[in-house]
Amino acid sequence: MLALLQLIVVGFVVLTVIFIGLSMYSRRIRRGKLRQKWRSGPRLVDMDSFVQRGLKRYDSSIRRKLIWGVYIVPVVLVVLIIYLTNFS
Amino acid sequence: MGIIKWAFWITIWTIVAAFFHYTLPQVDIVRITDTYEKRIDFGENSIFWSNADVGNNNTLGNRDVFFIQTRRAKGDVMVYRNEDTGWGWPPYFKFDTTNLQAEASDLKSGSGAPQYVALKHYGWRNEFMSIFPNAISVRLVAGPDVSKGIPFLNIIILTLFAAFVYAIWVRWRRFREQRIDPTLERIEDDFAERQGRFSRWIASWKK
Repeated sequence: MLALLQLIVVGFVVLTVIFIGLSMYSRRIRRGKLRQKWRSGPRLVDMDSFVQRGLKRYDSSIRRKLIWGVYIVPVVLVVLIIYLTNFS
Repeated sequence: MGIIKWAFWITIWTIVAAFFHYTLPQVDIVRITDTYEKRIDFGENSIFWSNADVGNNNTLGNRDVFFIQTRRAKGDVMVYRNEDTGWGWPPYFKFDTTNLQAEASDLKSGSGAPQYVALKHYGWRNEFMSIFPNAISVRLVAGPDVSKGIPFLNIIILTLFAAFVYAIWVRWRRFREQRIDPTLERIEDDFAERQGRFSRWIASWKK
C-alpha cells in the first residue's frame, strides 16, 4: 500500500508541475496571439480590454479544458497497463 | 577537447541504450522445462531484483522468488525470474506473479513432446551477477519458428523519446546560436585583438 501511496503522491506532484507550467505557457501564447490580432484588426476597443475579453473566452474554452488531459492520460494509461499485464 | 566530448556523449548514449534495453519488453520463443522457487539473499545485485508480492513485507533481506526455467527455440537455455513489479519501476504494474507461475507450470513440456510459448520479459540474464530477466506473460504458440510479432509498444516509446530528445536539441541549438555563440565570438575577438597587441609589443622589443 505504501508503494501505491508513493506512486500517487510523486505522480500527483510531477503532473501538477506539468499542469501549471502548461497552463501558464498556453495562456501566454494566447495573450500574444490576441495582441497580434488586435494589431492587425480594426482596433474598435483598446488593446487591454480586447485581450482581457479574449482571455475570458479562452478560460471557458474546450482548448483550456484539454490541459486536464495531463492528469487523465497517465491514469488511463496506468489502468490500461494494469489490465493488459494482469487480466488479459 | 574533442575526444572528451566524444567520450562523454558515447557514455551518455550507452547508458540510455542500456536503460531501454533493460526496461522495454522483449519476446522469446521458449519451451518451459521447469518452474521452481528458490530463496534469494539479496546482495550487491539487489537493484536487479524486484519487490515482494504487493501487500507483503518488503523490508526483509531475503525471500523466495519464483523462477521459470526454459530452453529457447535457438537452442540455449534461459532462466527467468517471476516477480511482481507492483507500483514501482519499471511500470509494468505486474501483480499476477503467482497466476503467471501457475500458467507457466501448466505449459511445461519435455524435449520429447515440445510445446512452445512466447514469453514476454524485460531485464537481463547475467551469470556474473546472478541476475535474471523478469517474465511478464506467457502465451502458447504453434511452434519454435513462429514470428514474435512487431514490437509496436517499443516502436512508439522509442519514437516518442527520439522526438523528445530532438525537441530539446533543436531548442538548445537555437539558444546557443542566439545567445552563447555571439558572446563567445566577442570574447575570442577581444582575446585575439589583445594577443595581437601583445605580440606587437613583444616584437617591438626584438628590434
